[in-house]
Amino acid sequence: MTSYSKEVIRDLAAGQLPWPQTRRIMSAYKDDDRFFKMVAVYQDRVAWKDPILLPVSDHLFICQSGDERITRCECGHSFGDYRKNWKLNAAINVRNTEQSLREIYPNSDLPDPEWMEIREFICPQCGTLHEVEAAAPGYPLVHDFEPDLEGFYREWLGKPLEGS
Amino acid sequence: MLDKPASALRLRERLLDSERLMEETGCYDGIKELTLRNQDPLKFETLHTKLRAYCVSAREMARRISASPGVREVGEMVVAIYTPEGDAIALSNGIMVHVHTMSRFIKWMIKNNYEENPRIREGDIFANNDAFIGTVQVPDVMDVVPIFHDGTLVGWAGAVCHELEAGGITPGGDVCLAQERFTEGLFVCAEKIGENDEIRRDYVIRCERNLRMPIYWVLDEKAKVASCIDMRESVKQLISEIGLDYWMTVSKEFIEEGRRAQLARTRQLTVPGIYRGHTFYGHVTAGKPGFQLLGDPDWLYNIPIEMEITTDGKITMDFEGTQPWGYHSMNCTPAGMDGGMFVTLTQHMNFEGLVNDGAWMATELKLPHGTWTNPDNEMVATATSWALLLPAYGVFQRLLSRSFVARGFVEEAFVGQVNSPMIEMGGESQYGTPFGMAHFECAAAGSGALAIKDGLDTAYVGWNPESDMGNIEVWEQSMPMVYIGRSIVPNSGGAGKYRGGCSFVSTWLINKTSHLRLHTSEHSSRVFDNGGMCGGYPAPTCQKHRAVRNSNIHELAARGEPLAHAPGIDPHVSDYEKNFGGDHVVVEGPYITSPHKSGDIFSHSYNGGGGYGDVLERDPIKTAWDVENGFLTREAADQVFGIVLKDDEDGYPLADIDATVERRTAMRKQRLAKAIPVSDWIAAERGRVEKADFAPEVKKMYASAIKLSSRFTKDFSDFWNVDVRSIFTPGAKP
Repeated sequence: MTSYSKEVIRDLAAGQLPWPQTRRIMSAYKDDDRFFKMVAVYQDRVAWKDPILLPVSDHLFICQSGDERITRCECGHSFGDYRKNWKLNAAINVRNTEQSLREIYPNSDLPDPEWMEIREFICPQCGTLHEVEAAAPGYPLVHDFEPDLEGFYREWLGKPLEGS
Repeated sequence: MLDKPASALRLRERLLDSERLMEETGCYDGIKELTLRNQDPLKFETLHTKLRAYCVSAREMARRISASPGVREVGEMVVAIYTPEGDAIALSNGIMVHVHTMSRFIKWMIKNNYEENPRIREGDIFANNDAFIGTVQVPDVMDVVPIFHDGTLVGWAGAVCHELEAGGITPGGDVCLAQERFTEGLFVCAEKIGENDEIRRDYVIRCERNLRMPIYWVLDEKAKVASCIDMRESVKQLISEIGLDYWMTVSKEFIEEGRRAQLARTRQLTVPGIYRGHTFYGHVTAGKPGFQLLGDPDWLYNIPIEMEITTDGKITMDFEGTQPWGYHSMNCTPAGMDGGMFVTLTQHMNFEGLVNDGAWMATELKLPHGTWTNPDNEMVATATSWALLLPAYGVFQRLLSRSFVARGFVEEAFVGQVNSPMIEMGGESQYGTPFGMAHFECAAAGSGALAIKDGLDTAYVGWNPESDMGNIEVWEQSMPMVYIGRSIVPNSGGAGKYRGGCSFVSTWLINKTSHLRLHTSEHSSRVFDNGGMCGGYPAPTCQKHRAVRNSNIHELAARGEPLAHAPGIDPHVSDYEKNFGGDHVVVEGPYITSPHKSGDIFSHSYNGGGGYGDVLERDPIKTAWDVENGFLTREAADQVFGIVLKDDEDGYPLADIDATVERRTAMRKQRLAKAIPVSDWIAAERGRVEKADFAPEVKKMYASAIKLSSRFTKDFSDFWNVDVRSIFTPGAKP
């Protein structure tokens, strides 16, 4: 069975593995122990102790926090119950003027702000930009991901979550 | 009639029986056990590798027969081998989107009793480019031939080429001005075009008299038929070696194995759950010549997608909430939607093991009737389906990628494909003859970023993973334009920790013609349709067209003065305006205008991909390299990424790490100072929704989605806590 060291997985996740090695990993049979190794890499990265259950974005994790399962930023900020859209507890910056769009697109033609705006979802604690939506004005926010966390652990990983 | 049916049942009954068995058992053709695979796995794998080799070899041979630079240079072709019922067993590389669309074509003929009339016999050649039967768009012309072994139908060989000219209302393959079926070009509707391995002369005459550039289509027909015959003879030889009974069983087991492999791959790479995303497409044609006022000339489409992965590994994609079909060329049929799904899966999940129709069988598409994904009117045009397919399946790639990130396979996460406009042309060639062509250099746009590195620059399109822009010299042989520039577009990838791949822009001098029609298709306007992921920004919107009529380029050249070779980086005044005299033209959206002539200059930009991750985490050293090599501007490095560059002793950009850290700290503070809680934003925006204080096209989009989808209506109402039906569709019955 293919398997890599935790150090290799750490460097891969950080984008620091040399490309030839990355390329070999991409082409090889997948390593079935990846998930828990990657979770361990992320766990090392964060300063908090809540066990990570699932990464959901570059710096967002679902973790077990006491009796609750919450979405937490790498900095420790809690976005609340993992079943709810974390964006509702984020800070937002909307770019819907030529001037504000030009800050991100200094040399290109721009969309019509009447047709399209950019919504930046930011951690209110550390300022990390977690997600960007491009949507028509008035369009509801997207709930990107509702994982079947219990089904995943029970049926695919063979390690049912406690309390489920 | 078949001399000998494939089984005791006739073909149509056999197909229906196969579908029934799948329904009842959940397994392809009712195959619950892979007997031959279990008996001799090595023989099983070797045989499939042989079939794949037949396909790859046949395609390469056929590309040498084609006259089309689209097929020869860019590889716009795919071939495959099918079961008697029309399910793909093995396929080549190339435009794999069509493997399943050809499957639909074969099944359509079977279900429409082609056994009776026009009959299916050894040596017959059938062709189709009708998307409601099984293709994506008119230029995707497919040919299939039955494979008989000792009088028994044992399979089909099929091939598709994308034609560069389809004989529609506007020249080229993707007929951007088509607003209904009758202007899309030459249709071949599941037609028997040849017998005894020979293409009928009357069919060729029809092509010659209805196309602007028949040499491409006709020679591609010969190339496809040659590849089909090549595959057919290889399969017959193989059957003579392994026996007919073995073939009939193993070919089905290959597909069931493919289905199981797809389910297993999903369980291995992803996380079960519900994933959501959306994209948009804008169309601007008001006042442009040729458009009939059959619908709104300017419109905005929303494309929401909900993907569900269940614990058995099945992937379902649901398009509920999207827009109705319209009087434009961008509608898509279920066959095209299937094709988009197939080509995406083959890139993202089927990179090992058996790749065939089994992968498609492990998925499900929910395409709401009456929408652009599944029109309830077969007269609609689908000539440029890719315009909506590409952004839609770009969303699919991002949804899959989120599942890869969640599972820890970050190296597989890929922000995805892009919608990128292409050029169609026709008129008088540089040789003084009529011509028509699609310029396929668009097959090398920028890709979305990966979760571990930047996207591919000028090297990716979703529909053909074997991406290639073709050589300038070859394109110049085929059109009355010469290149005066082909260069990277700086900042054309979406910003992010990892930026999207950059696109390129070409600039041409129109040469040796008095009448050149230039049009563009798949040209979205006024929106971002190539999104980012995990904090990455979307790629820039489609760039406007810039042309110079009656330019003074020849005078400048005679005087040895500098020319402009690209539009430059000033969004308000292009380098063309700075350098060339003449009548300067800037056109938003699809380029539909009067013909050009020698001495005019035309430019066209392709699109880059979306970014991944927070821009303030981008590597400063890599960014300095990007600036040095023209992928990013200094302005973007400083303003967007917060990277301070200074010059080294040779004047090259050098990252100032300490100053960058300081600048980024300040930018994060600015971010937080400007941002407001989402709850505050929702409270403020609700008033705007209640008043429907939006542009007319936005209001129309909401009204259309509300009329078609109760789920969209409920989600929209619930989110803002208002009754959107009474706001956007007053007076309409619920």
